[in-house]
Amino acid sequence: MNNNDKQFEKRVGGQPLRAVPSEWRGEILAAARAARAEERPVAVAQESWLAIVQRQVAALLWPHPKAWAGLAAVWVGIIALNIATHEGAPRAARKSTTTSPEMVAELRKQQRMFAELVRGYESTDADRPRGFVPRPRSERVEAEVA
Amino acid sequence: MKMPGDSELERLYDAHASALYAFLLNLTRDEADTRDVLQEVFVKIARDEGLLRGVREERAFLIRLAHNAAIDLMRRRGTRERVKVNLAEVLSPFAPASDPDEEIFRNELAAALAELPEEQRAVAHLKLWGGLTFEAIASALEIPPNTAASRYRYAIDKLRERLRPLYEEMKQE
Repeated sequence: MNNNDKQFEKRVGGQPLRAVPSEWRGEILAAARAARAEERPVAVAQESWLAIVQRQVAALLWPHPKAWAGLAAVWVGIIALNIATHEGAPRAARKSTTTSPEMVAELRKQQRMFAELVRGYESTDADRPRGFVPRPRSERVEAEVA
Repeated sequence: MKMPGDSELERLYDAHASALYAFLLNLTRDEADTRDVLQEVFVKIARDEGLLRGVREERAFLIRLAHNAAIDLMRRRGTRERVKVNLAEVLSPFAPASDPDEEIFRNELAAALAELPEEQRAVAHLKLWGGLTFEAIASALEIPPNTAASRYRYAIDKLRERLRPLYEEMKQE
């Protein structure tokens, strides 16, 4: 860059610029304050965890709301079906354990028969094993002679 | 009652509004548009308290905000802007001069600047009247420093070519 160029740049750059109108200061700052005042309540509301959760959920579901709704409906159906079948099982079990009087009478009859059989078995000793009791040798000889 | 942060807004305005105003006026050549963009910048700062947190070069950062807002505005009003430049209904970014020769030079300079492409005009303004380095200009306009330097050279060459007769004449006097 030669001296002439520098002089030209200095000449051009030395031209004073127009000043910002003084009345703008109050107007622009007032507009900025008003904008801030409008923004504040929104900022406070955004700080609550519920709003954050709502925003996150909305952001998550927003791209395909119908798909998410369909998926939710399927899950509700599965849960409802699961609850219905789970409640049916114990009811059936309870129903099967209830005993009728005829059945009680039959059971008692069988018990009686079983008790009689047991008593009969205890009275006979035919099958009872004989115990071995050793006797003295002298007594054994007497017995052989006799 | 003053809200917290008002003094910070006032400080920012007092420190940078004049520079932003001149820059925006040179870009838009329209006082109403300049006011709209300047207000938009300060409204943005007021709305987002953390916007300037961690910013090292306030001036460069604010120029970037102003430049982006001005570009958006000019794109929205592209046709109107071109018509305005063609009809030379442009507002000079320079202060009125008491000396007639100086006034002529400023008017010619304003017209020559208006003929520059917007990207060259922005770089020339920030270098000549903003006193920024090419690095700072590059940061403010989000361009590489080499691009800033080359745009400046193109702009100066065009200005010199356009103003040479008048400049040489004034130098001889």
